[in-house]
Amino acid sequence: MIGAVGAVTCVRRASLALLTLACVVPAMAQTPGSAPRRARVELTGGGVLAGGYDLGDSTARLTPNSGSSGFEQFSTDNRVRQVVGVQAKIGVVVSPSIVVEGGFRFTQPVYEVRVTGDAEGAPDTTIEETLSQYVFDGSVVWNVTRAAFAGGRVLPFLSGGAGYLRELHEEDALVEEGLEYHAGGGLKWWFGEGRRRFGVRGEGGISIRDGGFDFKDGRRVVPVVSGSLVYAF
Amino acid sequence: MSPQSRTLLAVAVLALALAVPAGAYLKLGTRVGSRTESLRWREFPVRYFVTDASVAGVTAQQFQAAVTRAFGTWHAVENAQTSSTFVGFVQAPPFVEDGANVIGYLSQPGQDRTLAATTFTVDETDGRILESDIYFNTIFPWSTAEAGGTDRYDVESIALHEIGHLLGLSHSALGETELIGGGRRVIAAEAVMFPIAFTRGNIADRTLKADDIAGISDIYGTTTFAREFGSISGRVTKDGRGVQGAHVVAFNPKTGKLVGGFTLNESGNFVIAGLEPGPHVLRAEPLDDGDANSFFDDDFDVDVDFRVAFYQRVVAVPSGGGARDVEIKVIAK
Repeated sequence: MIGAVGAVTCVRRASLALLTLACVVPAMAQTPGSAPRRARVELTGGGVLAGGYDLGDSTARLTPNSGSSGFEQFSTDNRVRQVVGVQAKIGVVVSPSIVVEGGFRFTQPVYEVRVTGDAEGAPDTTIEETLSQYVFDGSVVWNVTRAAFAGGRVLPFLSGGAGYLRELHEEDALVEEGLEYHAGGGLKWWFGEGRRRFGVRGEGGISIRDGGFDFKDGRRVVPVVSGSLVYAF
Repeated sequence: MSPQSRTLLAVAVLALALAVPAGAYLKLGTRVGSRTESLRWREFPVRYFVTDASVAGVTAQQFQAAVTRAFGTWHAVENAQTSSTFVGFVQAPPFVEDGANVIGYLSQPGQDRTLAATTFTVDETDGRILESDIYFNTIFPWSTAEAGGTDRYDVESIALHEIGHLLGLSHSALGETELIGGGRRVIAAEAVMFPIAFTRGNIADRTLKADDIAGISDIYGTTTFAREFGSISGRVTKDGRGVQGAHVVAFNPKTGKLVGGFTLNESGNFVIAGLEPGPHVLRAEPLDDGDANSFFDDDFDVDVDFRVAFYQRVVAVPSGGGARDVEIKVIAK
């Protein structure tokens, strides 16, 4: 239980998946045990770090008169910054190797516009808008039981799935929708051996978004890492 | 009979118009008591005649064909409902109040900077346009050549601008100019309704820009337009007080489209309508690329004593609604 408390403290303090993993990894070999094979449901909640993405440049350009080389009023460089958010999942343990999950993720990424080169001398500036992003998804988790270690308590897994992406601009002025596909993997570290038990979960992967807030048609890939507490029962 | 008045508008360097406090660009308006009514046609198609006269290089038939193409360009705007019919050639010149909409040539040597102009007869009780004529000044050389005539002004381009007036639009300030020989030369523009024409031989103004389309859609918009497009409203302020006559431009970084508007009262209020949903960058600038009376009445004081500034947030325009309470703070030069 000491190891568990220590891990929980780390998650609360950092809430970033990478840091959570940093807490988990040194503890792996401390307490031997076994995976909770008797559990039927896994509840997961924690923090997520989603990478930013570039939206490209765009210039306020006027149609030139004959003999003019063109006129650019100003230029913009657009991107969505990386963001920290929260996530929750509920998983049904189909077999020791397979868990089917439904999840929810909420983040508030900042859309940033760098405005430069104003033709009439306005100073360069950066303006922003905060988006509210929701992802409702379903996943299949494959517990790689053969690769478990630390007495079976540390369990590698691979996961993949798809979901619905919903993004709201400030004051809910505009809704942008899309699809989200994801794939990745990580580790679960279980504490205790009973059917009801806690653990921590760290994972990383890619999130492929089709639609939502973007300037281009097509899909974009965003790296995602997360760290969570897991309760199995 | 409703009281009527005749209002003169002119393109190229001057225009007299009341500004209607709604929408991007400027709409023409008329005072009805304490309010301003937009000038607009209530019945379509607009029936027009063309004066049966030729000038060097352009026959009456070529002139009529170019005018008809220009009408067609406005009618092709997807989210606006307008239409017109060419009735026939007449001997009558334009600018005669005869109940007929006549488009043709006039010799106006006293208007040596005016390429063309539009007049209206309006019902002052509701802004309804009863008659509108357009003249093209014969002191300038004209062309209807497909690729533009060398050293000649393009009839279709100028007709597109004047028909914009005929339909109720005033001038847009989406352009940049330079002073040359006591006049202004356009460097670049992003609206057919910019008050100063491109130079001879240029046919870029045969194509409507986002600002023009927003303007005509604001006047004659379909239900789809009302449902799917949005607006931004707010104020431009300097030291806490409103700035009148500021030019405010909404830039959509996703599409690259520009739509402009003005602050139309002492409180510095503006509305830019006809915007595609999505994020917009807002920029306020002094109205210094055209004579103020190309846009407003002579008694409308335009404040040009401030520096260009951007609004410090991205503004998301909703579908069928408006982003409100934007305040663009500027500082004096």
